[in-house]
Amino acid sequence: MIPVSIVTGFLGAGKSTLLRRILRDPAWADSALIVNEFGEIPLDHDLIAASEESFVSASTGCLCCVVRDDLSKTLLDLLRRREAGEVPRYARVLVETSGLADPAPILHALMTDAALGATHALQGVVTLVDALHGAATLARHPEAQRQVMLADRILVTKPDLAPAPEAAIRALNPAAPLRAAAHGAAEPGWLFAPAPRPAELPDWAAHHTVGLASIVIEREAPVPALALTLWMQGLAEHAGARLLRLKGLVALAEQPDRPAVLHAIQHMVHPLEWLERWPGEDRRSRIVLIGEGIPRHFPARLLAAIEAEVAAEAARRG
Amino acid sequence: MTPPELRDLLADALALWGVEARPRVAEDGVALAAPDGTALRVLAAAPGDLPVRWWLERPGQRRPCTSVLGLLRALRNAVGAGEGEARRLRVARPDP
Repeated sequence: MIPVSIVTGFLGAGKSTLLRRILRDPAWADSALIVNEFGEIPLDHDLIAASEESFVSASTGCLCCVVRDDLSKTLLDLLRRREAGEVPRYARVLVETSGLADPAPILHALMTDAALGATHALQGVVTLVDALHGAATLARHPEAQRQVMLADRILVTKPDLAPAPEAAIRALNPAAPLRAAAHGAAEPGWLFAPAPRPAELPDWAAHHTVGLASIVIEREAPVPALALTLWMQGLAEHAGARLLRLKGLVALAEQPDRPAVLHAIQHMVHPLEWLERWPGEDRRSRIVLIGEGIPRHFPARLLAAIEAEVAAEAARRG
Repeated sequence: MTPPELRDLLADALALWGVEARPRVAEDGVALAAPDGTALRVLAAAPGDLPVRWWLERPGQRRPCTSVLGLLRALRNAVGAGEGEARRLRVARPDP
């Protein structure tokens, strides 16, 4: 499986500077970079000085607006060329999004394409936020807000020019690990490590911004698998595209000793992943939803109602 | 689910659908007026009515619902909020 990392951030956040520096690092030169630009004429890929071991594949047009097949085709074509020896045998793929991209459709493509899923594994989303303009950008641009909300790791750039806009970032994404680096001098091993599991994100709490919110559900008792399935179905049915992201660590009644990891981007649900054991003493189910305009208590109330029905039906059947 | 709990769930659902309606507890159930003025009432079904769990009533009509998800779907239709995005999800089991 080839790991794929998404590097996103608003216009001018420093994505190209970061990637240029990373590709010059011999330890990371065996990376394939897909540069996605917003506009007719590819420029960014010319600005990134790739080393001989790495290369750049430019795809014009905004990935989040163009058909999803574009990314799938690009990745699969690269893989075919890699296997045929036509391009260097890269170890990972980095996708640099346009500054105006909403990463969600890109994540969709990676999670839902069967051919991609068999050959590529989504490693995580790295979002860059400019220390100088970040707070204002986040206040004005929904695309920038989504980039931060969907981040698994956040890198504040240009910290030598201004303090990190941590409050604005944390209002959107309270738990993603955050570091600062000037001139692209970030540690690639940290940036492109696998995304943290929900168990490592205990401090998610309710934070609001205009129209966007993260909602936390905690349950002491294990949840029946049927109730969880029906709940996610109900959320997908009624929240639709308003549900941006869902992460969780859930104790299912059928397997309470092995927590199930939930992961969904909008209405696309990643297959459940099962951990061997709970990572700590806390065995409560914890689910975090990030959404737009979803009433704060709706998910928990819906889950409670469905759980009650499932329990009543189980009792009725003995 | 108690009538106040049902009212709160339906109020959240109506807000999610963008429907201006204010449900209230009334006569062992929840009453509300649809945007077109139609009076609606949601009642928990009696144990003997199983598999029906909920009734959605409007003047001259009584619709049975076998689950809370079915009730939300029926209510959404009754208040003119359109169709949701019907999806089928599956929970994978761990390897034994």
